[in-house]
Amino acid sequence: MSKKLRVIAAIIGVLALGLVVPTAVYAHGVNIEYTSDVEIEIVAEYDSGEPLAGAQVAVYAPDDPSTPWLIGVCDDQGRFSFTPDTSKPGTWDVQVRLAGHGDMIHIPIGEDTAPTGGIGGYTQLQIGLMAACVVWGSVGTALYFSRRRNA
Amino acid sequence: MHIPDGILPLSVTGAGYGAAVATTWYSIRKIKQREDYRQDIPKASLLTAAFFVASWIHIPVPPTSVHLVLNGLLGALLGYYAFPAILIGLAFQAVMFGHGGLTTLGVNAMIMGLPAIIAHHIFRLRKWGDKESRRKTGAFGFAAGVVAMGVSVAMFVGILLTNLPAELNVVTERVAIFALATAHVPVIFIEGTITALVATFLQRARPGILDSV
Repeated sequence: MSKKLRVIAAIIGVLALGLVVPTAVYAHGVNIEYTSDVEIEIVAEYDSGEPLAGAQVAVYAPDDPSTPWLIGVCDDQGRFSFTPDTSKPGTWDVQVRLAGHGDMIHIPIGEDTAPTGGIGGYTQLQIGLMAACVVWGSVGTALYFSRRRNA
Repeated sequence: MHIPDGILPLSVTGAGYGAAVATTWYSIRKIKQREDYRQDIPKASLLTAAFFVASWIHIPVPPTSVHLVLNGLLGALLGYYAFPAILIGLAFQAVMFGHGGLTTLGVNAMIMGLPAIIAHHIFRLRKWGDKESRRKTGAFGFAAGVVAMGVSVAMFVGILLTNLPAELNVVTERVAIFALATAHVPVIFIEGTITALVATFLQRARPGILDSV
């Protein structure tokens, strides 16, 4: 190799380094992916406030409301968590059952997912008021029929 | 003690409604055979209110809590009025407290109403033999309360055990059902005691009120 050629080779080498090395650094593209796992936590309690400890849970996906998608058990605090398959948007049904007691909650998954929700939401005051109305109705009935008898 | 919606298959809830309708019809027929069937309506109405409120009062029986049913008391004091009274009470409990359900109203009416009719016949046995005494009223009242609640628990357990869904862990659920039934053993005796106390009190305070049953 002549001296001239060696110089050209050296220049090409430096250029190549200059081109390749920095571009190699900048070419480390970043791929960011995300999966949105919506974890649903349910808490099951009796209306007396006690948890449904050890209750069996059956989760039904919107596409098959008859076969459970997932089966599990509540912990001692009546809690159970699961991550629904977000590719199946719609209403997911979760049934909780313990010794013949229990209920089913319908959870919308998809665009209209609500951060919280629940069933059986009467306050003690509302229940007390409703109970008082029924009791008063019964007392009224009793008074009505005793009046007629005495008249 | 109340079976909610979604626990039993449709065939069982349908059969429950059929049986409840038949028993209501029979009870009303028996009520109408009385001379003055309106006479006991105030008593029936007040005891319906007591039955309705009873399921809201929780008695802690660790590790769970239970509530009174009072079906033995209703059977003893009301006779055949007890069945329609319990049916109405259960309907209100289902709608307002969420205890039980509307689809299972018939089944629940049979679980609590049929033992009430049995309690009525047990309580009537006090009239056998020589003069009615307070002790006899108390003893048969206690028996009526105990048997009614005992039969209710047995029916509740029997109906649940024969209708366990396949996807459930059957052993776990069976253990839970028996645990619940065990928690009701003290309630059986509490119900017997309440029925005996109320019956003897009424016999002393207003003896006429027990004449019709």
